[in-house]
Amino acid sequence: MTETNPTVNSAGYEVPPELRQNVAITTLDKIWNMGRRYSVWPMMFGLACCAIEMICTAASRYDLARFGMEVMRPSPRQSDLMIVSGTVTKKMIPQIVRLYNQMPEPKYVLAMGACASGGGPFKEGYNVVSGVDQYVPVDVYVPGCPPTPQALLHGLMKLQEKIDSESITQVRWYGKEDIPAIPVPLLGPDLIDPRDNELIKQETSKKPAAPAAAPAAPAPAAEAAS
Amino acid sequence: MYGLGILKGMWVTLTHFIDSYVEDIKWLGRNRYYSKEGIQHRRSKDTKGIFTVQYPEEKLPVPEEFRFVPFLVYDVDEEGNKHDRCTSCGICAKVCPPQCIWIVRTEDPVTKRPVPEPVDFFIDVDICMNCGYCAEYCPFDAIKMDHDYEMASFDRHAEHIFNKEKLSKPASYYAGIRPTNYNREETLKAEEAAKKAAAAAAKAAAAAAKPADGAAAGSTPAQ
Repeated sequence: MTETNPTVNSAGYEVPPELRQNVAITTLDKIWNMGRRYSVWPMMFGLACCAIEMICTAASRYDLARFGMEVMRPSPRQSDLMIVSGTVTKKMIPQIVRLYNQMPEPKYVLAMGACASGGGPFKEGYNVVSGVDQYVPVDVYVPGCPPTPQALLHGLMKLQEKIDSESITQVRWYGKEDIPAIPVPLLGPDLIDPRDNELIKQETSKKPAAPAAAPAAPAPAAEAAS
Repeated sequence: MYGLGILKGMWVTLTHFIDSYVEDIKWLGRNRYYSKEGIQHRRSKDTKGIFTVQYPEEKLPVPEEFRFVPFLVYDVDEEGNKHDRCTSCGICAKVCPPQCIWIVRTEDPVTKRPVPEPVDFFIDVDICMNCGYCAEYCPFDAIKMDHDYEMASFDRHAEHIFNKEKLSKPASYYAGIRPTNYNREETLKAEEAAKKAAAAAAKAAAAAAKPADGAAAGSTPAQ
């Protein structure tokens, strides 16, 4: 046990050689983080084509269960990790933020693929959020379009690294102050109200007023010239 | 009969469970896991038992035409100096559908003429959609698609906007990951060079022959 798990059993204390097989010394942080890193439960939702790769990662060929992440939770209340797998449209972002707010602390977000990380090919599109990190704090970015299952696994291992680096005394969710929820973004009003369709029709079918003004305009100019 | 389907399903699960042990015993002495041979067997269609790729320890070999984020190719001459193949022409940046490439050009401070090699070359890998158009369109074979997909990080802006230093990889690396393409391009290049050399030799021979013909014939092309 002492040699097999170096991440846990390296607290910086010397153990006498005769006790090495019987005694394990660790810090609370390390044992706590070991428990957390091997039980990250992702939320079960997919947004676009990246979701297909995520499903593949969770299936038996790549097998997320080897990392203790096999329990995809359909409820945000029971999940620790939000894998934003795919294009986030402006219509979807309020729901994403709401789901994020509903997750209990500690919670992590993994932006999977180009669209979730930076908007990807739609970065300047009229209906796509260019990067989910504009609304929710993202912990790990996985590039790729879509990332292969192995690339996603690499991202998840990065997340485990991040969990390892945290300390109970410093993480914000065990602090005294309240963590405010992220405000849910609202879609703006519709540019065209369908109830005004008749009015718009009338307005657009009117003869333009410009030709009437055109003959009047040269007259003062002519006077000025004469 | 009710419940037969459930029993059938459980039978399938049981055979898979038993297969996983039988297969391990069959492979006793050989490496079924963490070896090239084992991975080839497990990804074939007639594999039985466990076929999970034990990812961090072993990786599924990618096909040669697999493409991830692009990289820049540089040549190394005999003295060990690096020469970018890139001439900062900007075709890749133009054809890039998500517009994730931008190039910093430079000019010679003395002659004020543009220097072909770019000062810096950026690719936002979080925007890149791995389409491979840049590699397809590059007339100098300077930008190619990589096989390395392990580039997840914690900070997008600090680590995922690759600069020239991070993108540059030697031609030998390119030859290693895509040998077929590399060899085809090299033979084409060699043929072109041979053709050019032949043309130059013919020209030189013609130029040498002309003065012998006479002064009048030699002066005609000069006009």
